Amino acid sequence: MWLEVSLEFIFLLSIFLPFLTAIFLFLNKKLFNELMTNFFTLNAALLSFAIAAYSFVALALNKFNGVNIELFQWISNPDISIGFTLDGLSGIMLILVTGLSFVIQLFSTSYMEKDENYSNYFIYFNFFVFSMLLLVMSSNFLVMFFGWELVGLSSYLLISFWSKKPAAAKAGNKAFVINRVGDFGFLIGLMIILDNFNTFDFYKILNNTNEVSENTITLISLFLLLGAFGKSAQFPLFSWLPDAMEGPTPASALIHAATMVTAGVFMLVRISPLLQHSNLASLLITVFGLITALLAAFSAINQYDIKKVLAYSTISQLGFMFIAIGAGAYVAAIFHLVTHAFFKALLFLGAGAVIHSMHHEQDIRKMGGLRKQMPITASMMGVGTLAISGIPPLAGFWSKDEILASVFANGGIYYIFWAFTLGAAFLTAFYMGRHWLLIFEKDNGFEHSDINEAPKAMTRPLLLLGIFSIFIGFINTPFFHGLEKVLHVNLEYVEVTHLPEGITLIVLAVLSIGAGFTGLIIAFLFFGIELHKRIDLQKFKLEYPINLIKDLSFNVLYLNKFGNLFFVSGMKNLTRKVAVVVDGMLIDGSVNFVSTAFNKTSKITSTTQTGMVRNYVVYFGLFLLLLIVLFIATPMVQS
Amino acid sequence: MTRRKEIAMLEVTTDWYLSLAAILFTIGFLGMMIRKNALIMFMCIELMLNAVNLTFISASKHFGQIEGQVFVFFVLVVAAAEVVVGLAIIVSIFRKQSSASVDVLNVARG
Repeated sequence: MWLEVSLEFIFLLSIFLPFLTAIFLFLNKKLFNELMTNFFTLNAALLSFAIAAYSFVALALNKFNGVNIELFQWISNPDISIGFTLDGLSGIMLILVTGLSFVIQLFSTSYMEKDENYSNYFIYFNFFVFSMLLLVMSSNFLVMFFGWELVGLSSYLLISFWSKKPAAAKAGNKAFVINRVGDFGFLIGLMIILDNFNTFDFYKILNNTNEVSENTITLISLFLLLGAFGKSAQFPLFSWLPDAMEGPTPASALIHAATMVTAGVFMLVRISPLLQHSNLASLLITVFGLITALLAAFSAINQYDIKKVLAYSTISQLGFMFIAIGAGAYVAAIFHLVTHAFFKALLFLGAGAVIHSMHHEQDIRKMGGLRKQMPITASMMGVGTLAISGIPPLAGFWSKDEILASVFANGGIYYIFWAFTLGAAFLTAFYMGRHWLLIFEKDNGFEHSDINEAPKAMTRPLLLLGIFSIFIGFINTPFFHGLEKVLHVNLEYVEVTHLPEGITLIVLAVLSIGAGFTGLIIAFLFFGIELHKRIDLQKFKLEYPINLIKDLSFNVLYLNKFGNLFFVSGMKNLTRKVAVVVDGMLIDGSVNFVSTAFNKTSKITSTTQTGMVRNYVVYFGLFLLLLIVLFIATPMVQS
Repeated sequence: MTRRKEIAMLEVTTDWYLSLAAILFTIGFLGMMIRKNALIMFMCIELMLNAVNLTFISASKHFGQIEGQVFVFFVLVVAAAEVVVGLAIIVSIFRKQSSASVDVLNVARG
């Protein structure tokens, strides 16, 4: 029996290794000092990554034909089983999550140094990685849902890690509650799936999409979409992500780069055979992705928290991925997910290094001119900035260009979407340029002579991620469709939007590079050489619109306040009224009425109970008389 | 002689016995309602019980069935047992409040 267990099973080890590490660290929390914790968690992460890499190579040798492992069947009808799968899509995520988890943990060992809950951080971290792996490696919707929920839980633990800060505790709550809204949609989607397909298995569902009507598919897609919106922080449900910046910076890097927020994108690509049958869902994904991309990019323009800029940038980039999915470019979406994971992890860890060196100062207005003190961090953050702005040949260019070209290739109304997406790309370059210039270049008049370069445990992960941010884009270029080959099993029944040919592609690429460069140049003009101070603004009457834009951007178009007013305060008032009317008057009223009615009648009847024996004798006699009368009267009535 | 015969003619029927029982019962009942002394009330109860006994016996005689008379024995036994308990209670009441009046005993009023 044991001989039959083949090496295919080994990838399960990389899923459960982080979980075992979390348990092991939890059990030995009191025993281990920081060094021991580092030793176990880093080695476990490295081992997990090594197994993931081995599995991925084995998968590649098998020409990316997936492996499906059913551990056991839970219920036979409907067909529900616990199983895992290793195919192109989950393989990419496996290697991405384990790899980034290792790099970020390496960074965390230095960043979290001397924290009083040091080992707790790594327990949560490993648990988070395990949840995400459960989510991406599952072969059915049920295990995916487990992972989906556990990711929500562990993100809550990490975001509110410094729970002594009220803001952190609140942010964790907010993330959890807003995610519940999405999870609710996801859960309903799952119920409709089970009702129609009688199974949760991806392959059985996705190969039989023709069996159910298009309306049902649209319904399923819309509910699953709500789940994806919540988890991936898309337009109506995005406000938890900027607040989630209260967590430790490396945890933010993990949430933003490889885990949690990518879950929505991953899930939508996973169900792409369903999505392609529903035009409505695809259109909605594009529209909401576009709104998110523009809104978040606009909001990032005037943020002053070093991490909030990056948070809005993540939301915006996720918007790009959603646009790609809506346009049918699933490969481009996953491609952008991968490249974004690297440069966003790089940017966040860079921000973490800056925060660490600045003694936990996060306001970028108080930084400025840090380039001389922190050359490695500055250059690596520069690489990340260029990569996210879409400057060739860095990673971001290839993926963003592919998204833009795919949107363009759809034609029709998508030309307008393409134009807006290009605008979002321009804004991305602008705010990222501003971000870098404000931190590292512009002199804000603060003395930074005591600032030193971050320790080696921080700069080394930065260098590693920097190298990847430069080169990872080459896995899928217009000349070499590597990722498409990896994903061929997943997209076997899917019509992927193909890139336009020849000169159109080149023109599109030039336009997207142009948008990136223009954004960076304008950022340089404003924040590098401060053009607006050298020319007289009064002459152009620009002061008011600029201030308006600054104000709107800083307050995210007042959406948070609106949401608070409408959903929080409104709901509070409504529930208060409901509490008074329904609870107080209806429910309490009826209960009180019954009790008072009994009380009053019993008071009346109890007056007959005088306690005088002779009165009772009188009652007794009266009833005896009644009996006699009845006895005499009854035969007379009968006759 | 004639007068004697007349007297002999005045036959005592069952109705007489039943009337006597009814009168005894009413006396007992009125006594229960009117008197305060627990001991007197007790005697009234006995009176009522015996009135019932009389009814039983006369009915038994009237219908020529023995069951009524058997039942009287049961009533007697129960009455005897009741006297034992009841008297004990009355004695203890008397010890506690040095009177046998039942009107003071209204602890169980509503």
